[in-house]
This record gives sequence, structure tokens and C-alpha cells, in this order.
Amino acid sequence: MRAPGRPRFAGRRVTRWAVDTVGVLLALTAGTFALVLLARGDPAAILAATRAGRSATPEQVEAVRAELGLDAPALVRYARWLADAVTGDFGLSLRTNTPIGPEIADRMGVTLGLVGGSAVVALAVGLAVGIAGAVLGPGLPRGALRGGALLVTSLPVFWLSYLLVLVLALRLGLVPTSGMAGPATWVMPMAVLGLPAAGALSRVVAVTLREALDRPYVLAAQARGSGWISIVFRDGLPNAAGPILSLSGITVGSLLVGTVVVEQIFGWPGLGDYFVQAAAARDVPALQASALILGGGFILANRLADVLQVLIDPRSRRDGGVPTPWLRKGTA
Amino acid sequence: MTRTVLVALPLVVFAIAGLLAPVLAPVDPTAVDLAASLLPPSADHPLGTDQLGRDQLSRILYGAQISLAVTAAVLTISLTVGVITGTIAGYLGGRADRVISRVVDMAVSLPGMLVALAVIGVRGPGVVNLIIAMSLWAWAPYARIARARVAGLRGSPHLDALRLLGASPARVIGRHLLPPALAPCLVYASTDVGSIVLGVATLSFLGLGIPPPYAEWGQMLIEGRPYLASAWWLAYPPGIAITAVVFASNLLGERLAGDDERPSILRWVRPTARRRLADHVPTAAEGDVVLSVQDLSVGYPQRVVAEVSYEVRRGQVLAIVGESGSGKTTSVLAPFGLLDPSAVATGSATLGSGELMGLTPHERRLVNGRRVGVVFQDSLAVLNPLRTIGAHVDEAVRNAGRGGRRAATRRVTEELLRLVGLPDPAALARQFPHQLSGGMRQRVQIAIALAGEPELLVADEPTSALDVTVQAQLLDLLGRLRDELSMSMIVVSHDLAVVSRLADSVAVMYAGRIVESGPLTTVINDPGHPYTRGLLDAVPLPGAVPGTRFRTMPGRPGAGPDDSSGCAFAPRCPIAVTACTNDRPVLKVLTSAATHRSACSRGGA
Ligand code: SF4
Repeated sequence: MRAPGRPRFAGRRVTRWAVDTVGVLLALTAGTFALVLLARGDPAAILAATRAGRSATPEQVEAVRAELGLDAPALVRYARWLADAVTGDFGLSLRTNTPIGPEIADRMGVTLGLVGGSAVVALAVGLAVGIAGAVLGPGLPRGALRGGALLVTSLPVFWLSYLLVLVLALRLGLVPTSGMAGPATWVMPMAVLGLPAAGALSRVVAVTLREALDRPYVLAAQARGSGWISIVFRDGLPNAAGPILSLSGITVGSLLVGTVVVEQIFGWPGLGDYFVQAAAARDVPALQASALILGGGFILANRLADVLQVLIDPRSRRDGGVPTPWLRKGTA
Repeated sequence: MTRTVLVALPLVVFAIAGLLAPVLAPVDPTAVDLAASLLPPSADHPLGTDQLGRDQLSRILYGAQISLAVTAAVLTISLTVGVITGTIAGYLGGRADRVISRVVDMAVSLPGMLVALAVIGVRGPGVVNLIIAMSLWAWAPYARIARARVAGLRGSPHLDALRLLGASPARVIGRHLLPPALAPCLVYASTDVGSIVLGVATLSFLGLGIPPPYAEWGQMLIEGRPYLASAWWLAYPPGIAITAVVFASNLLGERLAGDDERPSILRWVRPTARRRLADHVPTAAEGDVVLSVQDLSVGYPQRVVAEVSYEVRRGQVLAIVGESGSGKTTSVLAPFGLLDPSAVATGSATLGSGELMGLTPHERRLVNGRRVGVVFQDSLAVLNPLRTIGAHVDEAVRNAGRGGRRAATRRVTEELLRLVGLPDPAALARQFPHQLSGGMRQRVQIAIALAGEPELLVADEPTSALDVTVQAQLLDLLGRLRDELSMSMIVVSHDLAVVSRLADSVAVMYAGRIVESGPLTTVINDPGHPYTRGLLDAVPLPGAVPGTRFRTMPGRPGAGPDDSSGCAFAPRCPIAVTACTNDRPVLKVLTSAATHRSACSRGGA
């Protein structure tokens, strides 16, 4: 008997995945750097004005330009910027004249907490509704779940926030309208960010799970008297895990992007909020830094799901179907 | 179709409202009237007024106008850029295609919202910048769709002919590739409207989209925010407008994608009629019948099995024989609810004295796996690829109520595996289905079926797709189980030779009906139906009387039971007469034996 494990085939695909990912991230850095070339207005002039507190003299502007190294050719500046960025040095904010790196590090925790919390909401609700959608027969309950999922996916995040603020905070007084202090303030941001994602996730779970449940092994399980709960959790979900995992990655990525709006509304001092402030003030270095972090996180979340899918998908194995250890646990 | 139109209705309303805003709006949306600020809805202001006394309804309508204008501009740019890029990539192929596709892939994988925000962040807000930013977000999927379409067309002979005729590349692309590439892109665009409208509203809400004094929906919401608590009418209408457009667009996309909503196989067959036993005369020797199926019909809703009746006696093996598509598998799985959820089964099936048709899923679990075991044809597909052999058998043991702690259950499992003749059960239980040979998997299936010590074993083509030696071993195993455990069996096969080693009685099916049934020896030695004779002729059996010889049966197999009003076999029957196509022959007892019946109007000819 062959020892179960991850054979070379999967290994090669993981290597290719890693190379690809680095490529996409490099492209992201190039795109992000290019923002400075697109920018309207002279960054040196803006920073000089920020420092001087008023319009700067041409000498001051030139001094700042030399300090920022803005005279060099674009390619050299890109190389310098990238080298600094890798070490977490994103330069000075044009708006506040303070280093961007520490500010981003400070705000990262808030955003990660928000994304993590809403990811739990999205996955729990999305899976539950999706399973119901796959198992229920045609009829009112399934139609309602399906319509509800589609509706909640179509709700603009900012309007959903309004509705929740109106009902939960203003009418019922259950939670504060905004801010970030104590568990009660987490309810609305997590719901607002997580529920639309749950709606999208539930649709995919329903479709892929139904497909996995249409295979002959389900008929065989019914023939040996297994109940639907066992069939869904032992046969259906493991075999639908690939697409569901992949979409979960996309979901986490979209939650990260969603923080841009939600942090604004609820006044959370996270990365999304920083990004919007930078965009509003045309603070190019800060914009670049936050775009790089959020965009990189988005890409990684998406691609991480892909590689996990390679690892659990039996078709990606040369010997055609030894599951990873975590999948075997509980089923063996 | 009408439902698709209905689904798209909000989009149509959106377009009309946007186009006709100046006509429809009661007043100027920018007309400030501080004396009339924050008025609730009234006859003068159907949707109330905002903090500056501007008419909400007019602002909503003008909001549709600006949203529509931006969406149209973004779609035009994205479609043009995307379709042209994709078409060129698909047309050129080779390295150019790879490079362009790579860029498109990257653009698709970027978060659109961030791209748009970043571009606006460096260029500043404004309608033009908004359109540029949104187009940067939206173009890539069109390029991907167009490329796929054109790449599919590239190899077509039609295109080769055009090139040979000297058509220039520009002409080929413009006349023959762009139009087909555009079609799927337009379909996608109709579902993209929602995300663009939502994007515009979100950016405006963040103060980075459409600037005041334009009345944009997202803009209206952010302006109304401080008055949320007191003036509810500021919060609802713009949100409802956005949601309606986005929802309709999403729903349209789902419909166009043809996401069919058939339920999963998990749903159990719900028969429409519980029983139709009244006109049926019970046969003799009831006591010793294990399973009795009467007048079973199965339809989707077109019938594939019609009025099938059969019986299995204790310790005996019934063989059901027929070509693929003759309904034999359906006939034996229907009593146990093992059919597609859309199937409708009528008739009656009694196991012991209990009716099987119309059982609830819970009641089924007391039958399946306990009193009846099933062995399916395709042993690889019916085992879950992600679970070990042991996990499968353990589950069957637990379902049958014979399990205990994990180790105790596994001991029963190993015993079962040994019973079906598998060596080293402990090691085998840790293997995965794909690591076993077809014959071993078939034995595993039998072990699973035996876990509940059932009265009846149903085996659907248990030996097809296996080589002859393995076939013989498996048949020996089934024979041994019948003798040692005095188990009743139904064996379904297309091969009369296979089942003749095992069966006590046989039922021959053709086009969804039983055309002949009786004790095996009688049927083999004295077949009553021309089809049976043909089958016997196709497989020479020791001691069989050769009938009229037709080596390959002519005609179309696999017709449905209701496809003709006469005998379904008539087109292929060597002795058919005109009368055969008019009246359907019924099963009649033949003179030779009381249990031997045949459905041929020409009797035992
Ligand atoms: S009824 Fe006629 S067509 Fe049908 S089998 Fe008999 S002889 Fe042939």
C-alpha cells in the first residue's frame, strides 16, 4: 500500500503557484508605483506646503524634491521605492508629514480583526444557508433562502449599514451607532461586511454541494441507510470542498476590500479608513502603501485558496486521490 | 421568457427614469428652498424634501440619469476596449495571445474597488475621472469572454477559407470575428450594470465619485446621514433604488447563466399514488414471498417502466434480464426509493408484509441497509473517493445498528471483509477506493450490503466490466452467500449467461415492460417470447433450444413503454404480423408451466 501523502505532482503545482503569485504581486507593486506617475499635482510641492503650513517657496519645494529623490528616472525610483516598501518603509505622508509604515502597522490590527470577525459570520451563515439550499426541495423555504441570499448580496454595504443603524442603534438602542469600544460595537460592522459575503457564498455552496450530492456514492450511501446529515457532511461537503474553499478565499479578499466602506461608516481607524483618507487628500505615498497592503492581501487570499484546493483535490495528485490528513480525520 | 422580462423590469424602469428625468421630475432637483427643508412625504413632495428643501423624487430621478450616463459610458469604453483586445488576442494566438491573456488575467484578479479608488485618489474626483477609474475596473472580463469566443472560432474551416480568398486580417476581424465576440459580451454587460451602478454609488458615498451638486444616489445617502434619525425618508428611497437595480441585474445574470434549480438526489422519491392493489389478484404461497412488486410504473414523467410485477422468494434468486435502457435497474431500485428525485413511482411493493412505496426518509432507513442491501454496477463511482474502505463499511455497520465503539465496529467490518473473501482486512480497510481493483471493490460493495444481515440482496449488474475469471469468482461468492445465509437476491444483468449460473427464476424486460417471466430452466429451454429467443441465441447456453436465428437484432433498442400502442418489439421481431402493432400483448400464462408467462400475441409460436 502506498503511503498517503503529498506526491511530487502536487509539489510541482505548488511551486508553479508560488512563482505565479510572486509575479502577480510584482505586477501589483508596479501598478501601485505607477500611481505616482498618474498623480495630478507635484508631490514635492504638496509635502513642502504641508511642512510650511502654507504655500511653499520654490526653494523649499526643490529641497523636498531632492530629499524624496524625485529627480531620478522612474525606473530607479521604482526600484528604490520597492526596496523600501519591502522593509516596511513607505516614506512620509504628504498629508501629515509623518512616516506611513508605523501608521499602517497600527491600523492593520483593526482591519484584520474586522475581516476575521466578518469572515466567521460569512462562512457560518453562508455554509448553513448553502447546505439548506442544496438539501431542500423546491418550495417556499428554499425560494425564500435563495431570494434572500441574492437580495442581501445586492444590498449596498453602506445602505445596509444605514438600515441596521436605524433599527438596532436608533430605534432599539441595542448597540452604539459607531465607534470601536467593546463587543457591542462589533456587531454591526461584522454583520454589514459579513452578510453580503455570506449571500454570495451560500449560492456557490448550494450549487457545488448539490453537484457533489448528485454522484452515485450518495445513492449508495442511501442504499446502506445513511441519513442526510451523514451524507451531507461525510460525502457531500468533502467532495465539494475545492470550489467552496476557493470561494472562501475570494470572500476573505472581498471582505478586505469592503473594509474601505465599512470602516468609514462606523468610524473604525483601520486600513480601509486610511486608504479613503489618503484618496480624498491625494496623499500619493499613503495611497500607494495602503493600496499595496490591501491589494496584496486580496491577491494572497484569493491565491491561497487556489493552492489549498490543489492540495485537497484528489485529481491534482498523480496517484489520483489520497486526501490530505485533515480530511481523513474523522472519516477514517 | 416572460419571467426573464419581469426580472429585468427594474433595469428598464431605471433606463426610462434616467432618460426621461427632465420630463418626469416635478421640479428642479437643485432648487433649494430652506423654508421647506426636511418635509416628510406629501402631495407636493411625494418623497419629501432634504435638508436644503430639495425635492427628493426629482433628485432620485436625476440620480438615475447621472447613474445611467456614467454606467453607459463605462460600459461603452469597457466593451470597446475589452472586445477589441480579446478579439485581437484570440485572432493572433501564440505568444501575443499568451501575453495579452496574462495581462487580462491579472486585471481580472485585481480588486476593482481598490483600483478605482486608487486612480481617483491620485487624479481627484469628478465625473470624467470616475468613468476612467470604473472602466479600468470593468474592461478585463470582456476581453476574457471575447478572447475565448474568438479562440474557439479561429480554427474553423470558414475562417481558413476567408483567408485563402485573400480577406485582409482587418476585414476578417471586423466582419467575421467581432460580431460573434460581441454577442456574449453584451449578455455579460446586461448583468454588469448592477456592479457598475453599485460601484458608482459606493465611490460617491465615500465622497470620491460624483461630486455635488449632482444628485447621485450614494451622494444623497451620505448627505442625508446626519438626519437619519429624524427624517427616515432620506434613508430609504436612494437605497431602494440602488438595491432594485443591482438585484435585478444579479437575478438576470443568474437566469442567463441558466443556473438550474433541480433538487439534489438527496430528496427521496415521492410517489403520487400509494397503492393500486384493488384489481390485483394475489398469487399463491404468500408466506414465502420476500419481496412482491405489483404494477410498478416509474416516469420522469414520461414512463420508463410500465406496470412491472415481480416476486422474490426466500432463498431464491430472481434474475432480471434486458438490454441497457430497458428499465431493469429502475424496476429494482424504485421500491427502495433509490431513484432520481424527479422520478414519479406508482404501484405497490411489499417487503414481508410492509408497503415500501411512500415511505418517509426515516422509515426508509429502517429498510435500506438493514433489511435490504444493494450492490451497484460502477464500484468506483459509488464509493466516496475521499473516504477509506473501512469508513464505508463502518458506516454501513453503524447504520444497521451493529456498531459499537470504534474498535468494535471495525472488528465487524473486518469480519465482513473476510466473509466476502478479501485478504488482510485490517490493511484493506485503511485503503482508498481507487487503490483497489474492480473485483475487490465489488466485494467491498457486497460486504457493505451484507452489513445489516439483510433478507434481500439487490445486485445491479454486479459483474459487468470485470474480466471473465473475476466474474466467475464473484458469481461463486453470490451463490455461496445465497446457500450459506439463505438470502434472497435480485440480480440485474444484460447477460443471460451470467445470471443463468445463479438464478432460480428470470424476468426478461424489453422497453420498460416484462415480456417474459418464469422458472429459469423453463424459460431457457422453452422460451415463449421471440425477444427471449433472440437473447438466448445471442448467448449460446448449454441445453438451450435454438430458436429462429437472428444474430444481431435489428431495430432501435431502448424505446419507452408508451412509444407504441402495440408490441414494442414489433419493429425487430422476426415473426411479427400486422396485428402486433395494433394491440399491446399482455403477459399470459403459458400452457407448459403455471408460473411461466409471456407477452406475445402469437402465443408460444
Ligand atoms: S407480439 Fe408480435 S411483434 Fe410482439 S413479440 Fe409477439 S410476435 Fe413479435
